[in-house]
Amino acid sequence: MSLPKNHRTTADPVLVQHAARLTARLPLVLSTAVLAFFILAAIVPALLAPYDPLAINPADAFSAPGPGHLLGTDESGRDIYSRIIHGARPSLLIGAAATGIGLGLALLLGTIAGFGGKWLDFGVGRVLEVLFALPGLLLALVFIALAGPGVGTTVVAVGLTTAPGYARMIRAQIIALRTSAMVEAATVLGRSRRQILSTHILPNALAPLAVLGTLGLGQAVVWAASLSFLGLGAPPPAPEWGAMLSAGRTYLSLAWWMTFFPGLAIVLVAAGSTVLSRALKTGGPR
Amino acid sequence: MIPGAAWWVLGKVVGGIFVLWAVATAIFFGIRMIPGDPAEAIMGGPGSQASAEALAAARAEYGLDDPLAVQYFSQLWRLATGDLGTSYSLKSPVSTVLGELVPPTLTLAVLALLVAWVLALVLAVLSMRSGRLGAAVASGLEIVSAAVPHFWLASVMIMLFATTLGWLPPVSTNSAAGLVLPVATLALPLAGFLGQVMRDTMEAAHHSSFALSARARGESETGVLLRHSIRHAALPGIALSGWAFGSLLSGAVVVESIFARPGLGRSLLSAVSARDIPLVTGVALLSAAAYVAIMALSDVAERVADPRMALP
Amino acid sequence: MRNPRTLATGLLPAVAAMAAALVLAGCTPAAPATDSEAETQAPVEGGTLVYASGDAEPACLDPHVGGNYPQALVSSQYLESLYTKDADGKLIPWLAEDSTVSDDGLTRTVKIRQGISFTDGTALTADAVKANFEHLLDPETASSTGYLALGKIDSMKAVDQSTLELKLKTPDNSLLESFSMPWVAIESPEALKRSQAENCASPVGTGPFKVESWQKQEAVNLVRNEDYVRPVALGSDDSLAHLEAITWRFIPEAATRYAALQAGEVQIIDNAQPDTIAAAAKDPAIEHLDAPRPGASNRIELNSSKAPFNDELVREAFIHAVNVDAGIDSLFFGTAPRSHSALSSVEPLGYSAESLFSYDPAKAAELLDEAGWSERDSEGYRVKDSKRLSLTFPVSTNQSVPAEQSLFEQLQATAKESGIEIKINLLDLSSWYGDLAKNDYNLVSAPYTKVGPSVLAILFHSDSTVPAPSGYFANLSQVKDPALDELLDTAGSTADEAERKDLYAQAQKLVLEGNYVLPLYDQQNHFLYSTKLKNIGAITAVATPTFFDAWLAK
Repeated sequence: MSLPKNHRTTADPVLVQHAARLTARLPLVLSTAVLAFFILAAIVPALLAPYDPLAINPADAFSAPGPGHLLGTDESGRDIYSRIIHGARPSLLIGAAATGIGLGLALLLGTIAGFGGKWLDFGVGRVLEVLFALPGLLLALVFIALAGPGVGTTVVAVGLTTAPGYARMIRAQIIALRTSAMVEAATVLGRSRRQILSTHILPNALAPLAVLGTLGLGQAVVWAASLSFLGLGAPPPAPEWGAMLSAGRTYLSLAWWMTFFPGLAIVLVAAGSTVLSRALKTGGPR
Repeated sequence: MIPGAAWWVLGKVVGGIFVLWAVATAIFFGIRMIPGDPAEAIMGGPGSQASAEALAAARAEYGLDDPLAVQYFSQLWRLATGDLGTSYSLKSPVSTVLGELVPPTLTLAVLALLVAWVLALVLAVLSMRSGRLGAAVASGLEIVSAAVPHFWLASVMIMLFATTLGWLPPVSTNSAAGLVLPVATLALPLAGFLGQVMRDTMEAAHHSSFALSARARGESETGVLLRHSIRHAALPGIALSGWAFGSLLSGAVVVESIFARPGLGRSLLSAVSARDIPLVTGVALLSAAAYVAIMALSDVAERVADPRMALP
Repeated sequence: MRNPRTLATGLLPAVAAMAAALVLAGCTPAAPATDSEAETQAPVEGGTLVYASGDAEPACLDPHVGGNYPQALVSSQYLESLYTKDADGKLIPWLAEDSTVSDDGLTRTVKIRQGISFTDGTALTADAVKANFEHLLDPETASSTGYLALGKIDSMKAVDQSTLELKLKTPDNSLLESFSMPWVAIESPEALKRSQAENCASPVGTGPFKVESWQKQEAVNLVRNEDYVRPVALGSDDSLAHLEAITWRFIPEAATRYAALQAGEVQIIDNAQPDTIAAAAKDPAIEHLDAPRPGASNRIELNSSKAPFNDELVREAFIHAVNVDAGIDSLFFGTAPRSHSALSSVEPLGYSAESLFSYDPAKAAELLDEAGWSERDSEGYRVKDSKRLSLTFPVSTNQSVPAEQSLFEQLQATAKESGIEIKINLLDLSSWYGDLAKNDYNLVSAPYTKVGPSVLAILFHSDSTVPAPSGYFANLSQVKDPALDELLDTAGSTADEAERKDLYAQAQKLVLEGNYVLPLYDQQNHFLYSTKLKNIGAITAVATPTFFDAWLAK
């Protein structure tokens, strides 16, 4: 969809086109800006954060957002804004690493299924079915009980729970490609299996990974937050967003800012990455 | 036709049994790898003063001294004969425990799935009918609601609707009013997901060749929307329902804890932390069975919704 | 809201009048100052009280099995003990009538009160009590708390209908205190003969209420015992409870629990969090009951069995390096006074030493330098022999409320300033016990509730470093001091009350001055309740409230 057909306006069509394109691009621009901001925060938090995220000041606990503390302080008097900035690294890292594990596992399974012939495909299909049939949280809980809580455990637990979904999509993609006209033509032309794999199928199968990856980033952050709520996330005092959100909900009626802003950060990243992934999928804003 | 359908059913049944076997196996070995003595879990949990003899007796009674392979196969045999065993922590048969906990969780999950479906469809249709701005608003709503963690949504809703406004009870009983907040908590993020998928498909369908030809036949926009686009949008929604149900169970862990509802999710959490192997296995098998059943149903539903995929 | 220590069972009019002065909301029959209406109102008969517990739902309603605080809370409504405590904290007989001990301290004779029946009709006799003790000591029961409390009993004999004779392995001057605990409550011997599953679902006692049904994860339903006989008569004629029934609900999430109280869905909640107590103080429809638990204080134990805390200097340095007071002030909103004792403030024999627990980073630095931890690494932590001064602190998310977890984080932050690293591991209960059993900790906070100072022997006697077969041991600071053992042994067996007090004081002094523990505050036990609920405040020896005098205003 490009522009509304038959627009009945007397205004300068070029200007209208321009404005419409800008409006259409606005979510993408905003999302990119938000993600860029948090990625910058993850890389050089000290640049953006005015305070030490771990420095306690009990006398200053539960300060409302104001000039002293832009987004208020938490129960130990720590600056929420600085904690969100410093929390970008562990939170995004958990999101990215978990998504990476999920996608890596998925790519492996998907490739095996897509190329290994009928029986391997059948086998992987069953494995995926089993992973799907297990409630994700159960998988995560058992894994955390096994390995003990920590950032690394959270990463793997979230990665494991999200892997089956990705694997299924990748497998579908590969199968669709394998039967595509392009590949059939290549086969007719006598290209080797490996050539077809490397020149036609993999590049095309990998394209959606970018989409899935960005989408998954936000979801993984939400997942990690849920684990924190269950007391099984990143260990204190790490300013991980999920842990902040979970700690703050105790004081919801006393200090709404303790949950609102970390929650906002999670929503912004998740929403931003979704918008970005949709844009990637359609090849830019429509 | 009949033999085809019979094969299809047989395939589903065999596949389902395979899934259940694999889940039982994964849980059995997964939990055994967690450090800690199951006999302790039987004798009053961690920190118990159980004597060495009592622990030994418990091990003997539950066959925990047998080689792992023996335990595994006897466990499989018991499961195959429908015996889920006795919960370590609750001291009552797992089947009884599940029998009590399934109805409340099922009520919650099914209602949440329905509400999510309706919300997603309504959003998708509205955004189709109200132009670019509407689409942007709907899309924004979907994206944000899909990105909200359950526990946060639940806390905010309790503060808003129970404490501040006093409209709804904060604790969920099985009354209609008590179900509103937990169902909404589970349904909103799910609706965001389903909505995104459905709207994409609906847009594609709306501009497809058969929608064009329907318009050419003189059908109204609304008619096209209702007759064709929604039908198409429903397809991925149906296909995702099996997955959605699983995610609802994960969500139920959080929601049942916060709203103090009895149910499978809450007991799953306590069962894992008590290392109650029979109960964890029971919950896992049950949810796997539910998943298998829903996948089969959604398969059928998909074929009904999409005439191109007739039942075999 | 001012909350003096409360220990009132509401027994006698005189006691009750005194309790009214002591207990925030007042006790029978005088009216609390906060509610002048109650004075003129006659108790309303009937009605169902809805109680919301924040604890995990017990797996078994019989507190003999296992034996934890959530079990004590609910079972205090339907089970009674041989002894209890009055408003002064004085031990008084309840289901027992009297008790004597032989001169050598090895024979304890207990007179059992007659004319009392269990709710299944069985009569309370010496044989019934004996069956209960046997049940507690039977390994099959898997009793933990009650089992330990009766550990000194060697053999027992019902001499006649009302006389039970106990032979002890060693003299035990805390036996009557043990008898007052709900974990040693007396149940119908006939009911105990049923399977454990059955007895767990519906234990049968002599209390003012009885268990009617239990919907798992939903509620335990208690109804009034219409044949209740109050062992110690009250001034009033009726001995039956005013309430017709109690619905005992489980609402794990603190915010939901408080919201339910505000919405009037429940009339009383336990495990009230500090911030909600502060908020409730502004709500005229909500009252607060503070009932610190007896036994040990809530404290952090310093594991002296391994480096770096095998060096007393480092233990002392740690205690001065962390700022406990600032954290408690900001996180507990004045609901938890700082403790400087190993024992709860309700324990009359507690010994307190405030001067030992000052926040003094300069002193900590001095001590650490002296102990050889003088270098610092790139992150500012102290090192010795190229090893960082790092402490592992497993924290059970089931046992530490959010405010306490935040307090630990603040201790972590202040310790860092002194160059001490604290690694907090949030764990579920099973993993937490697992780490303790593996000796994989330097710091740990493990509350222990018991009536009387004998809890000191459980926590600090070297015998308690020997793990039970499950791997659990109670002496988590792992202090092994023959002089301390000697003090605790003698204090536990002496017949002379003054000597007992003196010896326990010396023992506590040794523990505190040896820097084995960092006391924080009493074990918190806060209840919030609707002003419609009148006359609560009667609590048992372990500070669980009972509702036999309570009533619901219309």
